Amino acid sequence: MDNIYSSDLMEIYKDPSFKGTLSAATNRVDGHNPFCGDQVHLDLMIVDGVIQDARWQGDMCFVSSIGAEFLLEAVIGKHVEAVQTFDQRQLLDLMGLNLSTSRIACATLTLKALHEALDEYQKANNG
Amino acid sequence: MLESALIKLDFPLFSSHPDLVYLDSAATSQKPQVVLNALLDFYTHSNANVHRGIYELSEVASGLYEQARARVARFLGATSAQEIVFTSGTTAALNLVAYSYGSQVLHEGDEILVADFEHHSSLLPWQRVAAQTGAVLRMVTSDDNGQIALDVWKNSITAATKVVVVAHASNVLGTITDIRSLADLVHRVGAVLVVDGAQAAPHLAVDVHTLDCDFYAMSAHKMLGPMGVGALYTKSALLEKMVPYQVGGGMIEEVTATTATFATGPAKFEAGTPPVAEAIAWVAALDYLEAVGLEAIRQHEVALSEFLLAELQTIKGLRILGPKQASQRTGLVSVAVEGVHAHDLADYLSREQIAVRAGFHCAMPLHHNQHCGATLRASYYLYNDKQDLVRFIDQLHKAINYYG
Ligand SMILES: Cc1ncc(COP(=O)(O)O)c(C=O)c1O
Repeated sequence: MDNIYSSDLMEIYKDPSFKGTLSAATNRVDGHNPFCGDQVHLDLMIVDGVIQDARWQGDMCFVSSIGAEFLLEAVIGKHVEAVQTFDQRQLLDLMGLNLSTSRIACATLTLKALHEALDEYQKANNG
Repeated sequence: MLESALIKLDFPLFSSHPDLVYLDSAATSQKPQVVLNALLDFYTHSNANVHRGIYELSEVASGLYEQARARVARFLGATSAQEIVFTSGTTAALNLVAYSYGSQVLHEGDEILVADFEHHSSLLPWQRVAAQTGAVLRMVTSDDNGQIALDVWKNSITAATKVVVVAHASNVLGTITDIRSLADLVHRVGAVLVVDGAQAAPHLAVDVHTLDCDFYAMSAHKMLGPMGVGALYTKSALLEKMVPYQVGGGMIEEVTATTATFATGPAKFEAGTPPVAEAIAWVAALDYLEAVGLEAIRQHEVALSEFLLAELQTIKGLRILGPKQASQRTGLVSVAVEGVHAHDLADYLSREQIAVRAGFHCAMPLHHNQHCGATLRASYYLYNDKQDLVRFIDQLHKAINYYG
């Protein structure tokens, strides 16, 4: 077999733009995929309700990595409230992959962690 | 080596998937035609509930069901059929031991020892019983070779130890535990040895008498039989100390509005309608296995492991979990490839009709102790041949290059 994934995606996988950590992070969260045990560590820098920057870290599979990359690309610079309504469907549409059920859990690993972090942020800042 | 090409002909799934390379028998094995026939036969000719009706058909079904119990007893070398409780599988069998025996005998300060390579099904029931009784659960760590030396066990077992839990064969490492030697150590302090035989019973000739374990759990579906049935062997002296896990129909002696007395023997632990057809079809699987010969199957698997281990050792950045010697493991190999996720490898292989498992294989603590992420597991059985492994290795090389 030659290509499962497009070369564009392969490039993103091999040279991710948002992988790493943020020393100035205001919010940090860990996400777990119970199906395979994969973990993502997500760093966010949120200032005045805006996600100024974000990075993900973890030894994750291709689909999880691409999911994290597309997600962070889409949410950096956005308001927390706007991102809270960003859902699984929107992420999968951006990724454009035809995924089996088990792999949707891979694709949305970082999204779930992000939502958790944003809920916490909202609680801390509005509650 | 076995004539696997001929054996494959006995398994109809391979006719409907001629290109399939099935390397996930540790999850569940394929089923030979004789087992499918046995299921159909039962429902066609003998279907009735067991131990309920006095009409002839019910007696026929009950008779077949009890014959199945005796057959499983013989397969395991048990002294009597009374030592065999039918369950829905290994998980149910292990939960049964933990509840029916563990919760009765364990007290605060007692110790339960478990190997770190236990399947979650062999760990979680003891976590729960420990929490309920105040007993302490301690994990015994395997070495880099995926083994726990007898000395390590010896040093871990104390006067407080009441229960020791171990897999006869690990579903991730393939490691075979020397049950007899461990049983001797365990019995020296008056504790009991609970053996998870899910991955051993399909591959090794098991004789519980020789092993001298106190409990032995297994699943039919991993040894050519149907899903939904398994068994727990219990040394008869312990049966009396055990309370029923579930209560209901089929396991009682006498019931009033507020009280009940329970049946004796295995029925006490088999509330509700048991998996009758499955138990009876399991007999066909055991007959098939013994006709091929467990010794021959074992030799076949060791030869496959030797070949596979040698091939895998040439792959850069690939780490093999568990013992390096084929003779010390059952028919499976788990690997981790540096920089490539096991999921991605399995995904690639699946597109080439190669079925392998990726993940933590229900053994998270082990992966943690072995310092690795998700692993890729190829497991094989009597119907796999070298050609299956050649295709696996070829495509594994390609998959690693693709992602690497
Ligand atoms: C070592 C081990 N123990 C227990 C189990 C659980 O078996 P079952 O799912 O048939 O109850 C498995 C199956 O994956 C296993 O490999």
